[in-house]
Amino acid sequence: MIPRRLLVSIVLAGLALNGCGTTSTTLDVRYPEQGANSALLASAAPRRVQISPVVDRRIEPARVGSRPRGGGDLVTSRPVVEIVQDALSIEVSKNGHAVVSDRPDVVLKTVVEAFWLDAVDGYSSLQYVGKVVIALTVADGRTGETLLTRRYVGIKRREVDKPDERQWREVLDTALARTVHDLATDPDLVATLARVPTAVRHSIT
Amino acid sequence: MLAIVLLPLWGCASAPPPRPTARPFDDVRRISIVVAGESSLSVVEHKAEPGRTFDEIMAWYPTKVWMRPLAKLVHQGINWALGFDQTVTIARSVDGISPRTVVAAAMARRLRASGWFEEIRTLEREQSIEDRRRDDAVVRVMVPTWGLVRVRDGDPDLLAGFADVRAHMAQPGTGIVVWEGSEDVTSPEQFPVGAFMKDPDFARQEMVDVLERAGQRLASELMYARRAGR
Repeated sequence: MIPRRLLVSIVLAGLALNGCGTTSTTLDVRYPEQGANSALLASAAPRRVQISPVVDRRIEPARVGSRPRGGGDLVTSRPVVEIVQDALSIEVSKNGHAVVSDRPDVVLKTVVEAFWLDAVDGYSSLQYVGKVVIALTVADGRTGETLLTRRYVGIKRREVDKPDERQWREVLDTALARTVHDLATDPDLVATLARVPTAVRHSIT
Repeated sequence: MLAIVLLPLWGCASAPPPRPTARPFDDVRRISIVVAGESSLSVVEHKAEPGRTFDEIMAWYPTKVWMRPLAKLVHQGINWALGFDQTVTIARSVDGISPRTVVAAAMARRLRASGWFEEIRTLEREQSIEDRRRDDAVVRVMVPTWGLVRVRDGDPDLLAGFADVRAHMAQPGTGIVVWEGSEDVTSPEQFPVGAFMKDPDFARQEMVDVLERAGQRLASELMYARRAGR
């Protein structure tokens, strides 16, 4: 026979845990490697590029949005900094540059300022607005001198009839892809990479 | 045994279909960007009221099914009437702006900066067959809708400029489309609707900014697809 007080505690703890379990929805947001192309960034001669660990400066780092009508938090299955770091690595590699951890020609320092999904509640529809903002600093790999600072903003808007987890992920995926595509086709970034001298002839595979 | 044979086959069948192989167009050096189609300006607020209140009232009359579509029509009518004045005010602010021309010009600037193209012309109307022979490709740019859209619920709600744009690039001789893009472009800046209504110069600048952003987005996606499949 379980004492009444213990039983009440178990029920309350169960309710609390159940509440935690249902309040957040996990989204597997990612930058699709198979969709990445060799773009304008490939116009610069191959460089050794070090991507510093991405810094998270979002206002609400614990989540990427909330479900419509107070349905709980939206979170990503991997840390946002890891998602952005992977996206940059894929794009830089796809454009013929080597992602390295030592003797870099250039260092990319990235700050995530926003990674967020808004749901705008309408009468018979919902509108999702996904927004990804990253600030990029390009530094000389030898001197550390800042060569370029840029801010890339990717936004995706989509109207749907019903809340749908797949749509949330796709809206954030597209916002991230637009941010990265803007980076890969930025003439100023390409010109900066092209200007950086390479100290030694590297073999880039 | 049958299950063991079928499982791998089932796995193959449920795999996503292969992406179509994009055709690279990195041999295109001379292009004309031609504006096309009509543009419609609107203020899109996607409001939940008064429809939600009607629904609550309907809940008391479950047998009056015919009232439901009527309530939806009334909801749409009220919101259309409320949005009409706002659209007229915004339309006055952007008087004289051709959205397609602004988008095409911004797209051309971004493409020129890439250094990938020898010649980029922007045209207000379709060119003659003779003129077309000068180009490796013709890009047609359309802005079917643009205006303001509600992007965040709150008190007050926040709106941003938007432009839904489309473009396709075709070979002038054959008419074969080598690239097409469709972009919903939204301004990163968000303001209460009053900010746009009270200050025409501010509203005008916001709308021009979002149209230029749309042109840059189209250019980015065109450049991104240029060597796809290589």
